[in-house]
Amino acid sequence: MSPVLGIAGYVLREAASRKFIMAFMVGLTLVLAVVALGMRIDVIDGALAASRLFGQEVRATIQSVDVALRPVYQASAFIVFYGGILFGIVACSDFAPSLMSPGRIEHLLALPIQRWHLLAGTFLGVMTLALGGTLYGTTGLVLIFGVKTGYWTVGPLVAGLMACVGFAAVYAVMLTMATLVRSAALCAAAGFAVLVGGIIAGHRQDIAKAFEEGLSRSLFQAVTLVLPRLSALAEAAGDMAASLPLEVRSLGTLLVGVFVFGLAALVVGFWRFEGKDY
Amino acid sequence: MVTVTASTPAIEVTNLRKTYNRAFRKTGNIALRGMDLSVPRGSAFGLIGPNGAGKTTFIKSILGIVQPTEGTVRVLGGSPEDPRIRARIGYLPERLHLPGSWTPTAFLATVGRLKGLPPDAAGHLSLLERVGLADAVGRKIGGYSKGMRQRLGLAAALIGKPDLLVLDEPTDGIDPMGRMEVRRILQEEVQRGTTLFLNSHLLAETERVCDRVAILADGRVVREGKLEDLVRGESRWVARFAPGVSVEALGSAGFVPARADGVFHVEAPDATVLNAALDRARAAGALLVELRRDGMDLEAVLLGTVSAQAMRAAEVAA
Repeated sequence: MSPVLGIAGYVLREAASRKFIMAFMVGLTLVLAVVALGMRIDVIDGALAASRLFGQEVRATIQSVDVALRPVYQASAFIVFYGGILFGIVACSDFAPSLMSPGRIEHLLALPIQRWHLLAGTFLGVMTLALGGTLYGTTGLVLIFGVKTGYWTVGPLVAGLMACVGFAAVYAVMLTMATLVRSAALCAAAGFAVLVGGIIAGHRQDIAKAFEEGLSRSLFQAVTLVLPRLSALAEAAGDMAASLPLEVRSLGTLLVGVFVFGLAALVVGFWRFEGKDY
Repeated sequence: MVTVTASTPAIEVTNLRKTYNRAFRKTGNIALRGMDLSVPRGSAFGLIGPNGAGKTTFIKSILGIVQPTEGTVRVLGGSPEDPRIRARIGYLPERLHLPGSWTPTAFLATVGRLKGLPPDAAGHLSLLERVGLADAVGRKIGGYSKGMRQRLGLAAALIGKPDLLVLDEPTDGIDPMGRMEVRRILQEEVQRGTTLFLNSHLLAETERVCDRVAILADGRVVREGKLEDLVRGESRWVARFAPGVSVEALGSAGFVPARADGVFHVEAPDATVLNAALDRARAAGALLVELRRDGMDLEAVLLGTVSAQAMRAAEVAA
């Protein structure tokens, strides 16, 4: 078995023992169960005739199911994107620092694995966790609404995958931070900084206008140029979930930008980790 | 391709230097100052020295955890950076941090997987039994005592029957009965042909397990050799005479009374001087009952060596 998979398994086993991650999965299941059991939707000829939540009628005009579900899926995509990244930052901030703790890192480094295996495995383990949680939530939502309304779409799943891409860029920075300073708090802070920076970077053209022309605007543009456009990615994810036309000019370029940012952060982390003494 | 022969040392370091550079400081912390050491294959080798001597840095260097500033490190005929070499090493760190929510079998299975070994649940159970954890197999590691964690760490180090065992304070936190068990396991491993490299503050432990010892002080090996040679007094002898002996007469023959009745010390660098002293004692009417070289324990050897090293360093500085 590949050492990278071995380390990923190590991280996942650690994750399974964390109470708050288990609590999150239970909470997610409860939300899905409440939506599945508490919501009743009547569809006639592909149109939403009536919907009730815990017996209370939800006021809505008669409209086709796909149109009626758009705001639901769009809101879900934003919750999954921002909520998922925020939860990921908090829940995964101490995986890498914990693996690099004294007494554990020496033991791992003395095993017949390469140093990069350790970082790659940690990254893979965390991303598997993020992907699993995201797919569990979004698939559950699609299944519930699909069964209740007969309207099936993969939009929310694709939006969930895009949220994972955004989180990958954020976690790459957190992992790199762990190779510099073994602190869960600083890893989380780095993750928050990238998230906030990524939200700003997504609106950099609009925000830049608020700066005076000259050095300050150029500086802002230079700093935000290298950051991943997370808010633009979130909006694209929302549009995809709601099956709306994309507002971003090129989703491909957006994804490549986020990917390159994450990869660059990881390369710095790998380089630092290779030369570090423990 | 690494060619390993029986004569290839298990560990061989030449001019090993390590300086830890710190941010915002011009000079770093020097941990090793040109260390040379050769550990023969199949030996039980003990590394002793005062705190801060560089023992842990040395152990980390031979495992590739710390990268030397200068010098060469060869382990089992290859570089410790090579995972194939590390696959043949079992290591127990000083403060092994174990995942508390795991069971010992899950931990050993993970270590086995990362060592590239096929799953061997029965073998792991047998290892746990060997280190005295048979009754605690079903419990989570978080509920283990310090001694039990050390035993589990030892079991993890023994996975895959390594050619070299590097153990940093293996009996730390283990009760006296447990220490005996650990000692037995280590002796069995040495008999199997494993090279044992032991770092322990418990000098009596090192004395009982190891056949060779190196003393590390201030980042250098200041003394190294067979244990029996190190603990043997070089020119001091203990002589016991039959009761009724004259202390004054023996004193004039070069014998100094010890604490026990009839027991005397004499300084004799060679057999001629020793026999001359004994002849003088016999001429004074003393009857020799027992004669032996005045041996020291490892603690005395360590203290003597480190003190001498400190004095030499002070002289050089002056």
